[in-house]
Amino acid sequence: MNLAQNKAASQSQKLMVFVLSMALYGLATLFTELIPSFQVGIVEFSVEYFLFIPLTLAMLFDPMSVALGAATGELVFSEIMLGQFGGLGELEKFITVTIGVYVAGRMVKDPKNLKMVGLAAITGTALQLMMGTVVDILKVQLAVEDFEAVAGLPASVFVTEGFAFLNDLLFSGILFCLLPTLFLVPKLNGKIEPLLGMRPRSEQTLSGLDLKLVLGCVAGFAAACLAELLATSGTALIEWEADWAGSQTVLWIGIVVASIVAVLIFQIMRRQAGKERA
Amino acid sequence: MKWKQKLSENILDKLSIDFLKNQVLKNAYGNTDTLIAKLDPRILIAWYLFFGIVPWFVNDVAFLLTCFLLVMITTWLAHVAGLVMFIFVLGVFSQTGYLLIVSLFFGGNASTILPLLILTLKVTTCSLASITVFSGLDPDRLSNGLMWYGCPERLSFSIAYAYRILPMLMEEFQNVLLSYRLRGNPPDHSGWMGKIRYLIYQVRIIMQAFYPLILNTAKRSRTTVEALEMRGYRYAASNRSVKKMKLSALKVTHLDSVFLALSLLWMVGGSLLMTWI
Amino acid sequence: MKAIEIKDLTFTYPASQTPTLNHLYLEVEQGDFLAIVGNNGCGKSTFCKCLNGLIPHFIDGDFSGEVHVGGLDTRTSDVGTLATQVGYVYQDFENQIVRPTVLDDASYACLNYAMPDYLERGRAALKMVGLSTREKDYIWQLSGGQTHLLALAGAISLRPDILILDEPIAQLDPQHADEVYEILKTLNEKYGKTIIVIEHHTEYIANYCHHVMLMKEGGVAWKLPVDEALRHVDELQESHIFPPQVTQAAKRMQQAGTLAKTAKLPTTILQGMSTFQNCRYQPSFTRPTLKPETEKPVVTFKDMCVCYRSFKGEDRVVLDHLNLTIHKGDKIALVGSNGAGKSTLMKLMVGLVKPTSGTMFLNGQDVTGQRTKQLSPYVSLVYQNPEDMFIKDSIRRDIAYAMQVRQVTDHAKRTDELLSQFSLETLADRDGRLLSGGQMRKASLAIGIALNPPILLLDEPTANLDIATRHDILRTLKAIAATTDTVMIATHDMQLVCEWASRIVVLDDGKVIADGTRDDIFGNPTLLETVGIRPPEIFSMAQALDHQALLYTVEEFTSHFKEVGS
Repeated sequence: MNLAQNKAASQSQKLMVFVLSMALYGLATLFTELIPSFQVGIVEFSVEYFLFIPLTLAMLFDPMSVALGAATGELVFSEIMLGQFGGLGELEKFITVTIGVYVAGRMVKDPKNLKMVGLAAITGTALQLMMGTVVDILKVQLAVEDFEAVAGLPASVFVTEGFAFLNDLLFSGILFCLLPTLFLVPKLNGKIEPLLGMRPRSEQTLSGLDLKLVLGCVAGFAAACLAELLATSGTALIEWEADWAGSQTVLWIGIVVASIVAVLIFQIMRRQAGKERA
Repeated sequence: MKWKQKLSENILDKLSIDFLKNQVLKNAYGNTDTLIAKLDPRILIAWYLFFGIVPWFVNDVAFLLTCFLLVMITTWLAHVAGLVMFIFVLGVFSQTGYLLIVSLFFGGNASTILPLLILTLKVTTCSLASITVFSGLDPDRLSNGLMWYGCPERLSFSIAYAYRILPMLMEEFQNVLLSYRLRGNPPDHSGWMGKIRYLIYQVRIIMQAFYPLILNTAKRSRTTVEALEMRGYRYAASNRSVKKMKLSALKVTHLDSVFLALSLLWMVGGSLLMTWI
Repeated sequence: MKAIEIKDLTFTYPASQTPTLNHLYLEVEQGDFLAIVGNNGCGKSTFCKCLNGLIPHFIDGDFSGEVHVGGLDTRTSDVGTLATQVGYVYQDFENQIVRPTVLDDASYACLNYAMPDYLERGRAALKMVGLSTREKDYIWQLSGGQTHLLALAGAISLRPDILILDEPIAQLDPQHADEVYEILKTLNEKYGKTIIVIEHHTEYIANYCHHVMLMKEGGVAWKLPVDEALRHVDELQESHIFPPQVTQAAKRMQQAGTLAKTAKLPTTILQGMSTFQNCRYQPSFTRPTLKPETEKPVVTFKDMCVCYRSFKGEDRVVLDHLNLTIHKGDKIALVGSNGAGKSTLMKLMVGLVKPTSGTMFLNGQDVTGQRTKQLSPYVSLVYQNPEDMFIKDSIRRDIAYAMQVRQVTDHAKRTDELLSQFSLETLADRDGRLLSGGQMRKASLAIGIALNPPILLLDEPTANLDIATRHDILRTLKAIAATTDTVMIATHDMQLVCEWASRIVVLDDGKVIADGTRDDIFGNPTLLETVGIRPPEIFSMAQALDHQALLYTVEEFTSHFKEVGS
């Protein structure tokens, strides 16, 4: 009818897609958190990646809503609900999942084109895994003091992380991302859209990858790295300054500062509560 | 190898979805009457920020050990479900335990052990602190607390909504899996190969079960979003006074001050004692 | 001022060619209690979404005409303003509850609209629906009926003058259904709310509503006072609406000449008392009795106990030393209130639930604790929600699945046979969950009997269906009974029980408290009272006229009652 109405309708569709993606991927990650991986020889089979769910949805609906929904779902269901919240470091997962899913979703213009669906699925997965690997390597490098000095550690980290990446991509990636996505997209296409009151995706509803998108992803990834490093490598930041970090005095200063901060927060809260009551 | 296989079988078979559902629900809703749950969420989050961040900046074993013992006690106070603790142990092992073994394999020695022990203590302390806060708090109080710290409204809605639909989703998933059990023909799982085949079958079924689940959930979410619109969700998201009203329910009590004071006392006393020893 | 005024409303969904609502005109008085009836797809739900502003503000489509609700034009008012005028409760009401706890959900809308007294409003709404004691509970601790009441509370917390409920009692057992309608009645009479229900249970319409509106092809066929409306028997039946049983019976007796043509058709038992006052019961002596138990037992339960682990409080005992023998050829109806243990008993028989203690025999062998895989060739379970039975993307594949994985020879042929037996051929390649309620149910029955099991268990096969579809399912069940040996149905639907079952087993608190023919059960008023079973309306009518008359169907009634002097 008019512009405002269309806006409300499209916002509702985005919210619907967000809720759907959050609920499903959240549930899936809950299971992956609960089902431990198992190893045959040196190859690790983990059911780590139920990523096929947001990948499929991103190829059918608005990719950004799906990507954000999936990342939120993982955060809420498996991190917060199970109490496995890893602090700032979770931001890394949040951002890499969002980017991976979003890029894959944007790549597919026509869900009926299976070649494209497959390519997008594996690209999205690889992107997500690669970003994770880079962050992981940086993390260990900075988290363990004197990284280079510890005998065997650098080599072992590069080998394990590199191997884990290939392993994840070739096994989890193909088995749990590529194949299920190829199976689900054609089955759901045209069937699930009417359930949500939407029109199936067509050429017009999406534009392809562009420069802005690429830049956005790069910026996001940088933020992810920063978050992860901030979360895990505090040691390095201080060690780098001087060797006073380990001493008693500093320990005491740290505790005192922390308690002052805590008391301050406490005071602010009390004052606010008082204001609201008044 | 063998125990791992046995473990997987256990998880997929004896410990069934029913058990998982039970444990997750227990963790989510079962502990509203604990001491931790009564605390103000903002205080707890601040408390968490301390134990989630500070240990990373400190390498003093005495300090880390004191932190570790404190969060152990609070975790115990929060009555966390057994399964969550199990995952936690598994998680710690896979994060640093394996590094220890690998670096030994690559010619490491005792000098590798100490940094890794410190790393392990850091990881454990942070995890336990997060378990205390996120498992111990009521979902609604938690989301209000996060909102006070300025987290996006969408996140706090997601948390409350997740707790609402989790039982429904689990039930639905369970029913779909039951359909597979009733009509499917799982391979015989005697013998080594049989067990592997059975495991692969189970994983395949879980993946396939998502096809009906996606469609069933899609049906639901349409009603949900329409209802949200009628109930003013979008209106509230852009209205600051609503946020204020939500947050006015939070109150800091004496219990909170006692909790903070005790934590502080423990840290100071503990660290001193440990260094002295 | 009228509560609702609609002029020339036409609405077309984006993907559709024909309008769903077609030049619709309507006026509803304030304080009315209106029932909307019509066959599936006549646009009832779409119509209701036009009243609360979801159409045109939230749902895409072509909209024309005027809708005034409580004096507001829905085109110029936003959904939020309209929500304070119109409350809406969905048919799948559990999906409209979005908060984890009861009070939280009841006051959610008020909080969102920044009303400072949101908690009081939530509490007041809970009080109106009788949920005051559950304030702090989690949603999943509520029963189905209570969840519905909570959805209602969420809608009335904004204090709208108009309430719309889409099939409020479709998923509820009779006791909870009564409760819901009693509350609606109070809201209507005491608080002066205008209430609109989409409803096909005409007995409830007759007892509670003031007006009935018949919808046909997106328009209003008529809107009449309730008694007059329900007397349009032929017209209603054309739209697959079945008038109350007493109305049907009187109409048929008039046609057969056993009741004066001039008599007014009754719509309630009370009216029936005067219409049928000159009718006399003429007993027949060829009443069917329960087959003697000469057939050999197929399933026997000895001292069965089942406890569910719960993570708060005590473990719950669901089956408590239950003893039951099922004989070959039995057509058992398993009745009892929610939570009496009906579903658990069925799950036990297919090995989905493990007993805490006790033994179960199948064909004389002890099968206690056996896996589903071993039991599934003998026992098949069709559960309540057919959507959960569809695991493939077409019903053909769903039906074939169990046979395929067991490498049954010529499974393709058998699938085709089943499809035609249930007249599902034209739908064979559609996804099960996209079908209508009745089609879904039929497909799930076909899936259930695919392996030709000697024992078939059905959990609530007629729940959520309109009366016409229920008749269809009943026919299908009778056809199945000819090929499947033993069938057990858990149900609240007493018409189904009376017309189908040869044996009725009553469960209460995990024990069998009665077991016998329908005369044994329904002829025992104390039993009915304790377990809260409500016999079909026509049975109560016959009882009210003559205590000796145990008549269960409209046919039995019309052939046993005759007006003296006609």
